[in-house]
Amino acid sequence: MLYYLIVCRSLTYAQRTAAALERAGITARVLRSPKSISGEGCSHSVKISQRNLPDSLRILQRVGLTPKRVYITAGDGSYQEVAL
Amino acid sequence: MIYLDSAATTMQKPAAVATATAWAINHLASPGRGGHWPAMAAAEKAFACREEAAQLFHVKDPERVVFTFNATHGLNIAIKTLASPGSRVVISGYEHNAVTRPLHALKADIRVARGPLFDQGAVLAAFRRELDKGADLAVCTHVSNVFGFILPIEGIAALCRVRGVPLIIDASQSAGCVPVDFTGLGAAFIAMPGHKGLYGPQGTGLLLCGVDPAPLLEGGTGSESRRQSMPDFLPDRLEAGTHNVAGIAGLLEGLRYVNNLGVENIAAQEAGLIRSMGKGLRAISGVTAFQAEDPAVQSGVLSFCVKGRDCEEVGEALGGRGIALRAGLHCAPLAHETVGTLETGALRASVSAFNTEREIGQFLRTLGEIAGA
Repeated sequence: MLYYLIVCRSLTYAQRTAAALERAGITARVLRSPKSISGEGCSHSVKISQRNLPDSLRILQRVGLTPKRVYITAGDGSYQEVAL
Repeated sequence: MIYLDSAATTMQKPAAVATATAWAINHLASPGRGGHWPAMAAAEKAFACREEAAQLFHVKDPERVVFTFNATHGLNIAIKTLASPGSRVVISGYEHNAVTRPLHALKADIRVARGPLFDQGAVLAAFRRELDKGADLAVCTHVSNVFGFILPIEGIAALCRVRGVPLIIDASQSAGCVPVDFTGLGAAFIAMPGHKGLYGPQGTGLLLCGVDPAPLLEGGTGSESRRQSMPDFLPDRLEAGTHNVAGIAGLLEGLRYVNNLGVENIAAQEAGLIRSMGKGLRAISGVTAFQAEDPAVQSGVLSFCVKGRDCEEVGEALGGRGIALRAGLHCAPLAHETVGTLETGALRASVSAFNTEREIGQFLRTLGEIAGA
């Protein structure tokens, strides 16, 4: 299943992001970012399903929680950055 | 035991605080240090605690709620962020050593805005005078830990805002006891303990950050691990090392208790107890009670002296009869100097939401016996 990872600057920021999405009815789960996309090392991401990305970005913009980076899973298990 | 030392630590807590703390010890791991359930559950607990505090103190962004180990820890971060050797720092005449010692260690140019006890207007005027001489920083306690004097913090904050002087507020005695509005005050920092009016365990505290802080400690944060400098974002920037997760779990329950009960209701209850206590103390021969004529300027703390008696000996005698309060200088020699009790010290009785009128009555009867002996 394809999904998106919204990479956040901190665990708390990821929690705020997930909470804002959950409040809007979008299932969002906080998890540790895969090493390959964690940037400076050790970060947290919010996982959302593929169909929810446009709504999620709209909601996050509205509440002032701009994502740092967004990745989509590729078929081979790697991640590709999504241009925002 | 009749416990009247809540200005040091509220020993009587909501039952949920101990339950949550004990549960956390065996079930929660380190927030941000793993993707497994105990780590993520700990992270959820910490986030819930930040959100609960943000609601209570009107902080828009829970990332600006930083966990500390006590108010002193938070005050050290705040002071060492904003003051340096020679900084002109205006403080009230009621500050605790948690404020004055870091300032002395920094060799700051300390200017005391003195005003008589329970005279908010005089304190405000003193702050205006000192700020107008030029200042780099103001640090002010919201409530005196010795006398329960509620300082005119809204007015002081307004004076600082107009002059562009950052303000650090020590909310050690006000958090959970009188309303504290972080956004409204516009303070640079507000520091508070978790174990007093917020009913959390010892070893917890909160620092509300209005400006970008400098770390007091460097170390692991579970974020940006390749970098050899501390993250530039909150709360990670100030939270190096493993969190006091069990304490945070307990603090969350304490915050929920305060939010559910309502700070205004707690303040009203404590004010009622202090009124009764003051009336009773005045009726005991030889007792001088430091009680405000206007109850609106005093929180749940009341100090007193017994003529011809050493305050520590009276405190000892009360302790021996099951009444816990604190004698001496209360780590606030400046406050005692301002009021004129630096040489004698004083006895301090302080209440919480768990005290009752009956306990106050028993305390007064016992003190009457000791004072008359």
